[in-house]
Amino acid sequence: MTNNNDLTGLEIVDVPVDTERALARIRARVERERIAPVTRAPGAGNRPLVSVWLRGLAAAASVVLVLTLLTVSGVAETILTIFEPKQVVAVPVTGADLSAAASGLGTYGTLEWSATPRPYDVPDAATAARETGLTVRTPSQLPSGVQTSTVRFGVMPRTTATFTFSADMTRAAASRVGRTPPPMPANIDGSKLFITGGPVVVQHFAASAPAATGESARFAGVPALIIAQGKGPVVQSDGVTVEQLQQYLLAQPGISPQLAAQIRAIKDPSSTLPIPIPVDMATSKTVTVQGVSGVFIGDSTGLGSAVIWQKDGIVFGVAGTLTEAQVLAVANSLR
Amino acid sequence: MSAVEAMPAVGAVPAMPAAFDALFRREYPRVVAIALRIVRDHDEAEDVAQDVFVSFYRKHPADAPYAAPWLYSAAAHTALNVIRTRERRGRRDAIHAREREATIDPAEHAIATEREEAVRSALARLDERSASLLALRYSGLSYEEISAALGLRRSSIGTFLARAEDAFRREVTR
Repeated sequence: MTNNNDLTGLEIVDVPVDTERALARIRARVERERIAPVTRAPGAGNRPLVSVWLRGLAAAASVVLVLTLLTVSGVAETILTIFEPKQVVAVPVTGADLSAAASGLGTYGTLEWSATPRPYDVPDAATAARETGLTVRTPSQLPSGVQTSTVRFGVMPRTTATFTFSADMTRAAASRVGRTPPPMPANIDGSKLFITGGPVVVQHFAASAPAATGESARFAGVPALIIAQGKGPVVQSDGVTVEQLQQYLLAQPGISPQLAAQIRAIKDPSSTLPIPIPVDMATSKTVTVQGVSGVFIGDSTGLGSAVIWQKDGIVFGVAGTLTEAQVLAVANSLR
Repeated sequence: MSAVEAMPAVGAVPAMPAAFDALFRREYPRVVAIALRIVRDHDEAEDVAQDVFVSFYRKHPADAPYAAPWLYSAAAHTALNVIRTRERRGRRDAIHAREREATIDPAEHAIATEREEAVRSALARLDERSASLLALRYSGLSYEEISAALGLRRSSIGTFLARAEDAFRREVTR
């Protein structure tokens, strides 16, 4: 430290605290707000130092999952894998479609997680690989303005969920918003879907040189680049006629005819992961990345880009406040 | 304790576990110290610490092995949110507060408060990790403790800290 003076501002004298008084205060608050303590650990070994950006990704993943459910097809007489992604395709959606899909699961039945998806930070790629069993691909090329030194790793363990359809819940939810849904076919009511997602590894790079001043300071926490890789969602059914399921779900109020048509047009729905593209916010096109076909997404402001592809059983995504060329260069440099 | 007292009332909230009391007694001064490095006001630092412990209480068992690093990280994060919100609201409130507080030696008080404001404002402009790193280190945490709290490798903390100090110097003198 050559210029210590400017750092003296950080030094501050601690005044002794009255811990017992503070404990009485928190006890009163816990009683007043009727907060129950947690007695069970949220997951063995998980350090729940969850970043906001990881939680955002988890939310995005759930929207993809619901869209996935809309595309299942084929006839399942017993437990059968009805969806396993082998490729990705863009599906343009409107804001209304998204909110219909996002509120969808709770409306049609009960989703129970075997373990709640709980992403957490890990110190490095080796730890991420060890904890997920995935081969963690890292970029050998980064655009200028993005520094390797800012990389952070997050992990979301493999999670499974069971979804049970309920005609009663569907009716109740619809009547709350004053709508009459199409009747749920008897064989869908009570049937189950088994959903498996993850594990997922996410790398997150901050923009370099936090010369954050004034306005730009607000964006200090915004990642410049995110690289995600993981096992895509796999859906299994315990015997519902899933063709009927697709027909039923696509006929729901809130799903636009355009979206329904797009999803019906997917040639191989049981192995195509639909990527929702909000039409008013982003554009998409097919690109070649790592030698396979992927989806490129650009936001309408031209500031952000993303590319998503599937290779060797793993779904990859690269996104950032970068140009198309930069995002593709990073994607192709993953080793 | 009588039988009636021992019987839980209908819908009663379970009592605070003894393990939480122990955690609170052990870590409260530390959590206040971290928050204080950022908010620069003792009462406010204690308010932040209260919120941090309540958040922890809601979601995590008191005997969780990650309790301490979680609390340290949350203390920095919560305190940064407080000063960033204030920064966005502008300095209007801060000036009012200064006028209210200026009682004994107005001139001296004003200089001290201005200095605190400059430090707060510089921290608010830093990126989250750098600001947290400074708060944790300057409240006396070891590299091991910082490593656990911020999910950084032990070996890289020296470098990150030096960078954070440089960034802080630039911001505070600008």
